Amino acid sequence: MALNGQPRVELAASDREVVIEVEELTKTFGPVPVLNGIDLKIRRSEVVCIIGPSGSGKSTLLRCLAFLDPYTGGRVSIEGQLLGYKQQGERRLMQGHRELAKVRRNVGMVFQHFNLWPHMTALENVALALRVTRKLKADQAEREAREALSKVGLGDKAGNYPSQLSGGQQQRVAIARALAMKPHVILFDEPTSALDPELVGEVLGVMRQLAVEGMTMAIVTHEMGFAAQMADTVVFMDRGVILEQGSPDEIFKNPRNDRLKQFLDTWRTRSF
Amino acid sequence: MEFLHIAWAYKEMLLVGAATTAVISGASILLGMPLGLAFAFGLVSHNRPIRLFCAVYRSFWRGTPLLVQILLVFYLLPSIGLDLSPVTAAVLALILNTSAFQAEIFRGGLSAVPKGQVEAAQMLGIAPITIRRRIVIPQLLRLVTPAITNEFISILKNSSIISVISVTELLRTGQQIVSATYRPLEVYGLIAIIYIVMNLVIAQLGRRAEARLARGARA
Ligand SMILES: Nc1ncnc2c1ncn2[C@@H]1O[C@H](COP(=O)(O)OP(=O)(O)OP(=O)(O)O)[C@@H](O)[C@H]1O
Ligand SMILES: [Mg+2]
Repeated sequence: MALNGQPRVELAASDREVVIEVEELTKTFGPVPVLNGIDLKIRRSEVVCIIGPSGSGKSTLLRCLAFLDPYTGGRVSIEGQLLGYKQQGERRLMQGHRELAKVRRNVGMVFQHFNLWPHMTALENVALALRVTRKLKADQAEREAREALSKVGLGDKAGNYPSQLSGGQQQRVAIARALAMKPHVILFDEPTSALDPELVGEVLGVMRQLAVEGMTMAIVTHEMGFAAQMADTVVFMDRGVILEQGSPDEIFKNPRNDRLKQFLDTWRTRSF
Repeated sequence: MEFLHIAWAYKEMLLVGAATTAVISGASILLGMPLGLAFAFGLVSHNRPIRLFCAVYRSFWRGTPLLVQILLVFYLLPSIGLDLSPVTAAVLALILNTSAFQAEIFRGGLSAVPKGQVEAAQMLGIAPITIRRRIVIPQLLRLVTPAITNEFISILKNSSIISVISVTELLRTGQQIVSATYRPLEVYGLIAIIYIVMNLVIAQLGRRAEARLARGARA
């Protein structure tokens, strides 16, 4: 969609505009350092998969990109705008919620545990932000919400409450909810980790479709098959730093870093 | 047999006493609810003075005996020129008391609405006030219904204390009947049964409210 109809392969990756830029990002929880200097560029239509052992800081990185966790040092820019802070002379002040919402306007997020609102139907979940953030009229909001639900294959479930949907369907509603805001980039934090194995495929299928259409995505995942197949860039994190990043071939077939090799070995033994 | 005899002979007095108890506790719970909700949001406010004020208020009303509170309200207010009838003073004391307990219930409910739901809303650019109104409060009411039902039951029982400022509620009615019949065991047994019946009704109402608020939602 962002590519004006050109197939994505025609643009060299490095020519595309940077959507999210992360520079020397650090994050501590109290005295505990969790991110120790992350540099990362996510370009238009790029699919970046972030892998790494548990506790390496993948979720924290993603949450910092959304400013759900305020980062401690460095900077995150969304399409050129500094995220979360404003510079006032020497000091850096936290943005108010309106300023923050403005910078984050084009960032969507999909969570491991879906985070749907249980007292609203699928349709209401998708339509709420269309009404109150995009300020659409009720009928227009409903039309676009239904469109988004159809896109994830749930056109016939609009009236269901989350409790009346399977995990895979709930996650697809959550994707529709993010999608309906027409974001320029969507962040996914382990979108399939809370799902029964037989439901993983339907969610990955929707994500694959988004990738093909040119959506920019940053995905924390343990689905190595998906990463190998769909990622433009795979990022390997360990102990709060990026140890290696490259194409899926470089990372999976030709890993150089020892910890990455070890991580992949563990993963292979576990999955056979 | 004596038991049924007394119940029949004094049925009107008992009915009036029970109704007084029900109305006083019902009014206290309902009027204490908006106050409690306001104090709950105060307790989690980012504004320090507001938070502090609400915490002090809560600690006072939760930390002193209801009897002391009722006597304070009853004797204090006239001394500052407010002339209250015993019933009004009693209801006022009960409202202020229950609002503190309800504030704590609502505050607990607030933390039980998963943080992720609020984060999802924030990521969609939804304003804090709208998040509260559309996402948090509707779920809060469902979450706290059992606890509010319990609070209703304690208020109904505790309201017996207001007999000390000569409000003729259920217990005081019983005392009056005892002084006429000299059958304390039967009379107080009867009073106890009436309390139990009223509380069973409240528990039932609570379950209905819960079922209605659940409406497809099962977080
Ligand atoms: N809110 C928090 N307060 C304190 N420490 C935290 C907090 N959130 C995360 N951490 C710590 O930060 C580190 C990184 O956590 P994070 O959740 O980012 O890891 P992860 O790579 O996503 O792991 P997983 O694969 O298990 O999801 C962990 O050591 C964790 O204990
Ligand atoms: Mg994680």
